[in-house]
Amino acid sequence: MTGACPSDLKLEFHLLDPASSGLANHLAGCPSCRERLERMAGEGEEFRRFVYPATVDAVVRAVRRRGTLRWLPALVPLAAAAGLAFFFWPSPPSDYLGVKGDGLGLVVYMAGPDGARPVGDRESVPAAAALRFQVHPVLPCRLWIVSVDAAGQVSRLFPATGEGGARVDRPSALPGGAVLDGRRGPERIYAVCSPQPLSYQALEGLCRAAAAGGEEAVRRAGGLPGLPSGAAQASLLLEKQP
Amino acid sequence: MVNHREEASRLYREYGPAVYRRCLRLLRDREMARDATQEVFVRLVRDMGKLGDRDQVLPWIYRVATNHCLNLRRNAARHGEEALPPDLELDSPAPSATFPDRRLAQQVLSRFDRTTQAVAVGVFVDGMEHEEVASVLGISRRTVSRRLGRFLENARKYLARADS
Repeated sequence: MTGACPSDLKLEFHLLDPASSGLANHLAGCPSCRERLERMAGEGEEFRRFVYPATVDAVVRAVRRRGTLRWLPALVPLAAAAGLAFFFWPSPPSDYLGVKGDGLGLVVYMAGPDGARPVGDRESVPAAAALRFQVHPVLPCRLWIVSVDAAGQVSRLFPATGEGGARVDRPSALPGGAVLDGRRGPERIYAVCSPQPLSYQALEGLCRAAAAGGEEAVRRAGGLPGLPSGAAQASLLLEKQP
Repeated sequence: MVNHREEASRLYREYGPAVYRRCLRLLRDREMARDATQEVFVRLVRDMGKLGDRDQVLPWIYRVATNHCLNLRRNAARHGEEALPPDLELDSPAPSATFPDRRLAQQVLSRFDRTTQAVAVGVFVDGMEHEEVASVLGISRRTVSRRLGRFLENARKYLARADS
């Protein structure tokens, strides 16, 4: 082990810029610090997956309300900027591939420099892209949006809390959203609409089983077998590129 | 083209995790940490013009988030709220902190002023060296030592009174 163990603050520097933190040697020889770093990285992941999507709108509103953006580059006149939404909801084109499934449509929007745009199935997207979702159920149902990656990591995207799935009965732009984890590889998103409450645990198990087998399995797993009778589903594959 | 909303969102994505980790570390409650993260981040954006690169931003986050969360803990204690876990999770022993010292810190932290609390948390919870605490809090190393000494001395007195 090299030197004294770094403080949390030094580990924060490392997480932001590993190449220049100067901690690589110490971390290589210190299991305890590697464990701390993994815990911190896990908390960062928690922020990206759950806290950021749920709070970014409120934060940006608060920033604007308090007039705290004076320092930012004034590249856009304020009046015009105020009218720009991070996620504007354009209608998807008629040949859009993201709306799929019997009895349920799913549209995935990705934030971009010119506003949000719908993402196509199997499209390459930035590995840390911010996403939001629109669903089009045919019948009232309990909705889940989840995703799974090549490591078998299942992420709960909507609803963020609660059990059984969120009630939806009409085409809806869902509150919140998700930010991809920054890692390269396929990520498959499932929207599931069940006539009866469906437990997250059961759904998580189905996702994990469907995508078991790495990247190619995730790419192939376009449908979830084993859903309750009457459940509708839609799926979309994203290829995350650093 | 960058608009203000996108820029604020970008900053939140970049620095939000550090703020959230700090708040979670001190509050140990996810809901409270989430709320505190938003408060601290809005302040960060306000002060961003005075800060340069991340060499300054991260210590700022550490200092402001620490103060904010310690205030929350103190207010919760004053109002007798039970929502917060009573104890801070202590770091592995810092060079200058023996176990009884750290135990003392845990029990009596809320009785001290904000700066002294931040010094004690830096040393006992985060395992920072005195010099690093001084740098982050913008005070001298000598002040850190003095505050820490006073903290331990008064904490021992407090506990002695509590025991008798």
